[in-house]
Amino acid sequence: MSEKHRNSIFHPTRRQALAMMGLVGASGLVMPGILGRDKAYAAPPSTPKGQVIIGFSQEPTVFNPHMLHIEVDEGIHFSVFDPLFNVDPDGKFTPALAVEVPTVENGGISADGLNWKVKLRDGVTWHDGKPFTAEDVKFTLELVVDPNFRSGRRAGHDLVRDIKVVSPTEITWRMDKPYAPYPSILASTFIVPKHVLEPEADRNTAPFNNAPIGTGPFKWVERVAGDHIELAANAVYYGDGPYLERVIYKYIPDLTVLYTQFKTGDIDVTGLQWITPDHYDEAKVLDGKDVVIVPGATIESVTFNMEKPQFKDVAVRQALYFALDKATIIDALYYGLPTPTESYMPQQSFYFNPDLPKHEFDIEKAKKLLDDAGWKPGEDGIRAKDGIRLSFSNSTTAGNHIREQVQQFMQQSFKDIGVEMTISNLPPAVMWGEYWMQSKFESVVVGINFLTGPDPDTSDYFLSTSINAKGGAGQNTSQYSSPEVDTLLGEGGRVFVPEERKKAYLKIQEVIRNDLPLLPIFQYATVRGHKKGMTGFTPNVNNRIDSWNVGSWYWEQA
Amino acid sequence: MTVSTTSANSSVKSGWWNSRTFRRFVRHRLAALGVVMVAVLTVACVIGPYILPYNDLYIDLRARFSPPLTGYHFLGTDPLGRDIAARLLMAGRISMLVGFSAMILSTLIGATIGVVAGYYGGRVGTVLMRFVDAVLSFPSIFLLLALAAFIKPSPIMITVIIAITSWMEVARIVEAEVRSLRERDFIMAARMLGLSNRWIMFRELLPNAMGPIIVAATLTVARAILLEAYVSFLGYGIQPPLPSWGNMLNGAQQYLQSAPWLAIVPGVAITLAVTSFNFIGDGLRDALDARSDLN
Amino acid sequence: MTRYILNRLGQSLVLLVLVSMIGFAVLNLAPGGPLSQFALTPGMTQADLDRISAQMGLDRPLIVQYADWAWRLLRGDWGRSFRDSRPVLDVIGGHFGATLLLMGTATVISVVVGTWVGIKGATKRYSIFDYTATVGAMVALSIPTFWFGLVAIYIFSLKLGWLPAGNMYTIGDGSILDYAKHLIMPALVLALVDVAVWSRYMRTATLDVINQDFVRTARAKGMTPRRVLMKHVVGNALLPMITLAGLQVPTLLGGALVTETVFTWPGMGRLFLDSLGYQDYPVVMGLLMFSAILVLLSNLAADLLTAFVDPRIRLT
Repeated sequence: MSEKHRNSIFHPTRRQALAMMGLVGASGLVMPGILGRDKAYAAPPSTPKGQVIIGFSQEPTVFNPHMLHIEVDEGIHFSVFDPLFNVDPDGKFTPALAVEVPTVENGGISADGLNWKVKLRDGVTWHDGKPFTAEDVKFTLELVVDPNFRSGRRAGHDLVRDIKVVSPTEITWRMDKPYAPYPSILASTFIVPKHVLEPEADRNTAPFNNAPIGTGPFKWVERVAGDHIELAANAVYYGDGPYLERVIYKYIPDLTVLYTQFKTGDIDVTGLQWITPDHYDEAKVLDGKDVVIVPGATIESVTFNMEKPQFKDVAVRQALYFALDKATIIDALYYGLPTPTESYMPQQSFYFNPDLPKHEFDIEKAKKLLDDAGWKPGEDGIRAKDGIRLSFSNSTTAGNHIREQVQQFMQQSFKDIGVEMTISNLPPAVMWGEYWMQSKFESVVVGINFLTGPDPDTSDYFLSTSINAKGGAGQNTSQYSSPEVDTLLGEGGRVFVPEERKKAYLKIQEVIRNDLPLLPIFQYATVRGHKKGMTGFTPNVNNRIDSWNVGSWYWEQA
Repeated sequence: MTVSTTSANSSVKSGWWNSRTFRRFVRHRLAALGVVMVAVLTVACVIGPYILPYNDLYIDLRARFSPPLTGYHFLGTDPLGRDIAARLLMAGRISMLVGFSAMILSTLIGATIGVVAGYYGGRVGTVLMRFVDAVLSFPSIFLLLALAAFIKPSPIMITVIIAITSWMEVARIVEAEVRSLRERDFIMAARMLGLSNRWIMFRELLPNAMGPIIVAATLTVARAILLEAYVSFLGYGIQPPLPSWGNMLNGAQQYLQSAPWLAIVPGVAITLAVTSFNFIGDGLRDALDARSDLN
Repeated sequence: MTRYILNRLGQSLVLLVLVSMIGFAVLNLAPGGPLSQFALTPGMTQADLDRISAQMGLDRPLIVQYADWAWRLLRGDWGRSFRDSRPVLDVIGGHFGATLLLMGTATVISVVVGTWVGIKGATKRYSIFDYTATVGAMVALSIPTFWFGLVAIYIFSLKLGWLPAGNMYTIGDGSILDYAKHLIMPALVLALVDVAVWSRYMRTATLDVINQDFVRTARAKGMTPRRVLMKHVVGNALLPMITLAGLQVPTLLGGALVTETVFTWPGMGRLFLDSLGYQDYPVVMGLLMFSAILVLLSNLAADLLTAFVDPRIRLT
């Protein structure tokens, strides 16, 4: 619910945890073979037909898409609202409320990246029948930076100046500086109706927030708090679909129950947090179900607080990486589902650097590194140098079972090289408050989706001016500071041509891999299931929620 | 949970621990059983870990999820392949220690408030006892969780918040007891001798209310062990790697189908310990209750 | 009688004030306090925070803040959820029904079973039944509710497959039978502790009545034991039960919290844990206050009811 929640995916409440891993926000990539894309699809029905029940282990509660929210809320947002354009599984933008995606080539964005012009679709109506116009877009862009509004994201939007409504179907604005990630941000900026929200004195508490009105494929019907949300087909939707009469998001706070209900057919699709890894073997042979492994964009890592004296020496971080038995963590504790990684960048990304040095698990090398760097074991077996003991605490959200197991496992391996790691897990309220934001921790195990949609920009996490504890604004809670990365991030943010941007990001991944402010463990992959015959279910690594394209889903007719 | 601790107004004078009381206590077979079980549990938790072939923290991923009676893993292993028997005994140390410490702390708080309220009576007494009522109006688990979610969980803090949410019964009992003792001759005499209020409260009144306090304290141990289990089960209590009976159960629900022993074993331990303390408390109440002389 | 009622009402009011003070104190213990929701908003500067803090009146002395907060509470303005920005009372209201259904069913079960066990135990004192019931009650009071729930799920859902492991109803079904199937296990689990308490009290109460003169008289007059039991014993023993029912509410609420968690029941207990996890302090606070008020009201109601029924009080 904070930006942390938004990005991360990694703030499991006890339930999510129960759920298994605080894998948050991961989403999938297309795996055509597995998904059966190769077989010919039956045509969708001509009128909406049937219903789908999607099970979530967290309850969607925030329906205004611009307020602080978590992943599951986006299930509703994608169903009820539209952005100007969407991002598809390959990272390409596809027009939604905009007629075409603005680029430098088509003149939508000026060559210097400063002036934007967006042409909008004509004849789109809100669910209440009022016409959609450029005024709504202007209102939305202004709402997200309104200081009195509990906005979930300001970064990027705060660069927008001089928004002008040229005509009901055309809008222009100027950017304060070129900002290449902005298209990706816009791809998850859902347009909200001005005529409904503007008259409200307090947009944080408007009735709209609990009965949203959008332009999307499905209309709000009702919410039974603590249980489910029902949506119905928008008969006059301009885009693909909808082909289903009803979509029901069912809240099932326990993953074991979620799985059981999937098995018995009470729910049709397992949504976040999907099927626990320990059930995979059983799930994949279930009759009448398609169960697939879908990679997500979230990266699990041990993240250090670089300002703590124990971690200032790069040899220490390297030694800890050598002592990290990644293979066992992945194979045993995560049932071999996730993919080991060396980068914070998802492997499906165009910007992923595949040439980073490969991790080795080697206790002897780790010991030697520490010996050579002058960290000598003390009487208690714990190494020390210049009065600094190699002892530190590691935290994560209390109740996240698999992570707790990983911590205890690491604790044992680190002890082998003379490093003491204590475990200090905290309730979410304490963990993700000051402790995290103001870098009060020593080290943590977290899963973070560093990206915004398909965009490779990670300024929020690695820029030296994004350190809250030093007065910055951002999520650089490890207090990582590298002039080289700062420069590269600046360059990457200014360039709009992907091939040119790529250079900067490949280099950044290399620097981070060498500096090790975080020890990358793996990229998440999760087990997702849906009933056979459910067509159109397409994982999208660039979105955080399975139902990002629920408008195109339909039941294959028998 | 709701063990009523309102014991009868037994006014046992000095030398309450006389042989008749003791005999009556022992005669109460359940109480005796309780004492035996507590003794067994305590001894097991204290020396057991030195006897078992496994260390409670030793991780062996090849042996994860071994069912009970696999090799020397009498009670099976957990998701990290650690021996559950070893963990259970170490957890018992923590859980019972938390239970006892919380009991001592809450009894101290409760007895102090109770004796002050009962001795002074009047406005002071009313305010204090209304405060007791007010705290009692909150379901203790709600209060406990709300507090636990706001703090850095350590065994000490967990003990403190358990004590904070369970001193009220003792306060009520002591207050009632002291109020009835206040006008008795020996207190009058003490007042006339010019003894200080503090002396009278803590040297004269409190020792005379000891019987009911001990009963309540015993039941509080049971209650504190249960509360620790609740709050740790819900993920807000004692944090791993430190094992406690409650946190061994946290997460067990996920493995209920594949590894039910993860849930069953610690639950049995909790039930055994809590039942034993309840038996003892009940037996003590009978033994110290003057009224039961009549039967 | 009127005096008694007024007196009792006055007491409840005083308690309410004290309860609200405790609630307010807990709210202010939350990390970050009432501002935390804004502090986590990205791009929030200290200046913004100060401004909002002033807007919310957080720069005023605590006592003023308390008075303001308490006044709003009285008028039914309990603040809004951080999560879905609905009024806290609406949020709680949305979950109260489920909890009421669960607690109500559990209470009915425990009253019926507890009364039966208690009376039977008292009339057949020192029988095997009595002995088993007494020991059983002690054990029931010692079993952690959540663990009992887990064991029940393991046996009845996972092993036997008779009952659903969670939720309140099946979407698209929602018939009474469907509700009943979902309700039975959590209600029984929640009732366990209560059955124990009720049976113990009922046993004692029945024993007290049995030994009283008028019962002996009735029996001497030739009433059948069964009629004596029904007419005098049960009638008289039930009276203190009303008070007990009131006193049991906090336990029942606490038990409901745990039961709802284990059975994913969409009630207030679930809501409480969810809200804690999402740092939704207004709802956490609201639930604390709501449950405390519920306890106060049920105790008050029990006392008043007793007063109306019990001639000894009615006549004073």
